[in-house]
Amino acid sequence: MTSSSEPIFRVEHLSLAYPGRRGQPLAQILTDVSVEVVRGGALTLVGPSGSGKSSLLRCLNRLEEPTDGVVRFDGRPITELDPRELRRRAALVLQAPVLFEGTVRENLMVHAPAVTLDVSESRLRETLSEVGLEAALLERDAAMLSGGEKQRVTIARALLRDPQALLLDEPTSALDPPNATLVVQTICSLRESRGLSIVAVTHAPELVRRLGGALLYLVKGRVQAYEPVHGAGVIDNRLQAFLSGTHP
Amino acid sequence: MTTGGFGIIDLSWWQVVLALLLVIVIATVSLRQRLGLERDLLIGTIRTIVQLYLVGLILAAVFSAARWYWVLAILVVMAAIATHAAVSRLAKPIPGVYWIAAAALTISTAATITYVIGIVVQPRPWWEPQYLIPIAGMILGNSMTSAALAGDRLQSDLFARRDEVEARLALGFSGLEAVQPLVRAALRASMIPTVNGMMTVGVVQLPGMMTGQILAGASPLTAIRYQIVVVFMLAVATTLGSLLFVRLAVARYLTPAHQLRRYLL
Repeated sequence: MTSSSEPIFRVEHLSLAYPGRRGQPLAQILTDVSVEVVRGGALTLVGPSGSGKSSLLRCLNRLEEPTDGVVRFDGRPITELDPRELRRRAALVLQAPVLFEGTVRENLMVHAPAVTLDVSESRLRETLSEVGLEAALLERDAAMLSGGEKQRVTIARALLRDPQALLLDEPTSALDPPNATLVVQTICSLRESRGLSIVAVTHAPELVRRLGGALLYLVKGRVQAYEPVHGAGVIDNRLQAFLSGTHP
Repeated sequence: MTTGGFGIIDLSWWQVVLALLLVIVIATVSLRQRLGLERDLLIGTIRTIVQLYLVGLILAAVFSAARWYWVLAILVVMAAIATHAAVSRLAKPIPGVYWIAAAALTISTAATITYVIGIVVQPRPWWEPQYLIPIAGMILGNSMTSAALAGDRLQSDLFARRDEVEARLALGFSGLEAVQPLVRAALRASMIPTVNGMMTVGVVQLPGMMTGQILAGASPLTAIRYQIVVVFMLAVATTLGSLLFVRLAVARYLTPAHQLRRYLL
């Protein structure tokens, strides 16, 4: 089942709808989406706002429950996995980095009471350096960090769980260009060094090009295009149109 | 209708009418300052008289009937009204919130009353309406307010801090673990008025029940003993009420798969 040829994620005919409020109809978010992410590969989700990109991402670590279809992680339907374990193995990084009250160290050490996590001093330092941050930051108040530093701390926090996949929800859109570039570099180098599979919602052409892999263009919750980024895949002006959500 | 007890001046309806003249002062202020409150004031005045008169009639009937099931029926009606009041203050509906509020208020009130009536005050018979009804009323009123405060805070925090909750979920926390800080904040918010009230009780204002007992001719020393019991009783009832309400309500926002039902926020 978990042979290395098996994609890390396989989404089959996934649909998602929210129950309507009193008397209102269902709100259809995603319709019949099928897609794969190869092990160590990358998938970029693009489309106009409200097209269901983030919802699809959130289905992958089961923060959302699809109304129809199957999501397989490592060959197994995610409904057969403990959601908490799934979320440690497929770590989500949000657009607005969420750091809790306290120091960077305390933020890195955050974990569920029932879980053991190696947060030895050396591991904390190593992980911080993996995301390009200095160990001196450990004692800093997390609220005092810059946006780029905060985002990299949340990535480090995810890495401490030894994930197989990173799910990135517009990881750079809240950052200024230099910080965005640093975060893109961090993500790409992690992918290399750790062999991480990456699924990203992004509007940043730099991130799309550097990740490569495949691109899924969603409009109103339906797949409009699904093709490789390089090779015979999307060319630059089409990529721009995809990213700005203006592609027909 | 009522016979005055020891040392109490029985108010006649004429004396009540004299008190009604006070409302004219308010009406004058409202008219002169153009507050536009005359209509509400009129309705409020009529409701005060009619509601209290009806309650007086019902209580007098229940007191004289002296049957436990009538007392129980009054308590059930009071609990239903308190439930409705607590729920109607929520900004957004929570599925099943009526049952949640009813369970929280009923359990916290029943537990507190059982202790206070059965072990502390010990009236004979236990359902003696003179004790049971006013005590249950105070407990329900306070539990209702604190449950509504807790629910309101929980709801606004779940919305404002939803990313924080989902960040914890994404880090592998269970649903209940992820909302724990919000549950704590809601409980604190609901208990602070009670704890603050304990700091100033009797200093800033004499509590209503103590005032009533003194007016009815009880010795202040008896009145304070009752008031002390009441303060602790209300503190525990509000704590239990809001704890139960928040625990039950927060579960409605979570799924067995440790997901936050965002569409409810």
